[in-house]
Amino acid sequence: MSIFIDRDTRVVVFGATGNEGGFWTKHMLELGTRVVAGVTPGKEGANAAADAKIPAGRPGQQGLSGQQGFSGLPVYHSLRRALACYEADAAMLFVPPRFTKDAVFEALDSGLKKIVTIADGIPLHEALQIRAAARSCGARVIGGNTSGVISPGFAMMGMFPYWIERVYKPGRIGVMTRSGSLTNEVTAMVVAGGFGVSSLIGVGGDSVPGTRFAELLPDFQADSGTDAVVIIGELGGTMEEEVAQALAAGSFTKPVVAFIGGRHAPAGKRMGHAGAITSGGSGSALDKIAALRDAGALVAERPSLVGECLRQALGMNPQ
Amino acid sequence: MKLFEYQAKEVFASQGLSIPQGSIATDSSGAEQAAMAIGFPCVLKAQVLRGGRGKAGLIKVAHTPLEAAKAASDLFTSPHGVRKILVEKAVDIARELYLSITVDPFSARALILACSDGGIEIETLARTAPEKIVRENVDLDTRLLPFTARNCAYSLGLEGDLAKKFAQVVESLYKVFRALDAELVEINPLFVTKSGGLVAGDGKLSIDDNSMSRHPEWEPGRDYFGSEVEFEAYKEGIPYLQFDGDISLMCAGAGLTTTVYDLIADSGGTVANYLEFGGPNYRKGLKAMELCVKNNPKVILIVTFGTIARADIMAEGIVGAISTLKPSCPIVVCIRGTGEDAAAATLRAAGLDPLTDTEMAVKRAVELARGETGGHA
Repeated sequence: MSIFIDRDTRVVVFGATGNEGGFWTKHMLELGTRVVAGVTPGKEGANAAADAKIPAGRPGQQGLSGQQGFSGLPVYHSLRRALACYEADAAMLFVPPRFTKDAVFEALDSGLKKIVTIADGIPLHEALQIRAAARSCGARVIGGNTSGVISPGFAMMGMFPYWIERVYKPGRIGVMTRSGSLTNEVTAMVVAGGFGVSSLIGVGGDSVPGTRFAELLPDFQADSGTDAVVIIGELGGTMEEEVAQALAAGSFTKPVVAFIGGRHAPAGKRMGHAGAITSGGSGSALDKIAALRDAGALVAERPSLVGECLRQALGMNPQ
Repeated sequence: MKLFEYQAKEVFASQGLSIPQGSIATDSSGAEQAAMAIGFPCVLKAQVLRGGRGKAGLIKVAHTPLEAAKAASDLFTSPHGVRKILVEKAVDIARELYLSITVDPFSARALILACSDGGIEIETLARTAPEKIVRENVDLDTRLLPFTARNCAYSLGLEGDLAKKFAQVVESLYKVFRALDAELVEINPLFVTKSGGLVAGDGKLSIDDNSMSRHPEWEPGRDYFGSEVEFEAYKEGIPYLQFDGDISLMCAGAGLTTTVYDLIADSGGTVANYLEFGGPNYRKGLKAMELCVKNNPKVILIVTFGTIARADIMAEGIVGAISTLKPSCPIVVCIRGTGEDAAAATLRAAGLDPLTDTEMAVKRAVELARGETGGHA
């Protein structure tokens, strides 16, 4: 079980003909993701990720009119043209930051409700417009500045080295994160603690992410495949505090374990991510840790303690 | 990117906001001449990118040319690295207001904050007396409508002509916010003059870093950065922060680098610099190490766990950088992620001892910085 994406989610990839987009599209297919088509303006007729080794048992690319002949992905000029041939549920955007708003609005215009954008560097005001538009359409945009979304062992939208088994082992722990490398670090500790991951959602490191931590909690609450949630947060913004509010209000009842980076970060310094900065004394990692603890979450002081915190939160014996 | 006050005020004026008459001086005699041209009393304001200038003695009032020369000389010789002074005509102040526009990540709209007490720190007020702050959201696609600007004015208790003028100021400031892709525009204090005008007493304007390509005219120069190395890193597009401790961080991934910074502080170690060469920069190992070496660190600590940032390529970059730069300090390496096996082989072949555990790597770096051998480095 999982949230956001599973083996049946039909994905269209924007930018599958690019270097990076092609590389990760191939891996999305090889993990078993149901990628149905690509969209690159001006490249209709191309065959993207043609060398992907699609796992046995996955349905091949079957268009609405039954057309075949692609070993990888058929590419279309536009999403509208792709959707005339294939049905889809989600859009994966391997699109540079300055074209991201255009691509998100194209996906929303066609009625897709799940969109993941990895772009690092989306202009701030466009990030506001993207989130506002997604909310008014009842759609969910994950990112930017993220690796994406993965349900290990089943499907992914984005860029994850799922073949590194000590990180991306399937299991029953949900993960939400604002970071990339730190996610690999912390998730490896989840696995080292004897657990695996149900779904991992990278909301991204920007100050205006399309989707916020607390907005994913209802999905994890409803997912019978998730026993507990690990939050990988950091200084800046209020997303961790919003999770604490949801816990305190009793609207999320599964155990929460958090790791929060930036406890020693100097005030007013931007720590790498656009969103990782305190402002006027608010958004510090220590405030976030206090808020989460007050609401009943366990906060690991170091990544290596995450596994132990999970065991404790789930009422298991220490390892 | 934060602009200096005088630049923010130039932008404000270009959108119809009133600013005090003033000019910029780059040395003491220039400041004295500017003061005489403007008339007395005048205010000399150090142009530095830090808050709390009043308390730090970086704003001075002068009533005579002699006072102006003395004030300018004090400011230019202060330890705050003052390179420019804004000399302004003193304003006849009746009262002070507060006005800012920023982004509200939750509602995904612009957020106007206004307060009838100017000159205060808005974050402090938000904690102590939040009811005094007027908040109005603006949908970027709808744009700022006049009623929202009027609501700001009337909610502050302003009346008559002053309310109308305040609403105009809100509209002008919103134009600045949108035109410059700002993450923050702030006028604090906004002076109400004795003749009933509204004049920007201070100006803060921070352009979103992700929008800088649309504003090449504001490309920052050396004086926006605290150190030469910070400026050099900026030009390379490598996220970098200058500190003055022992351990130079050459890590990949912002969250991981921030965590390594925490772990070092927890272990009693100190950081010479924060440097992150992940994401699009993972092929820049040589440049990254060059920046680190400039700090003469006691240890260079390399920690990565990359996906896009391939470990094998980073390892080759590191080995190449070491043979080119021949750093005299020990190097602790912990490289994991895509291509990690090939990376470990490359590092071993070059005589390094690659670790796989972040906390172990931090421990070793802190021990080495203290002069404890801590086993083999």
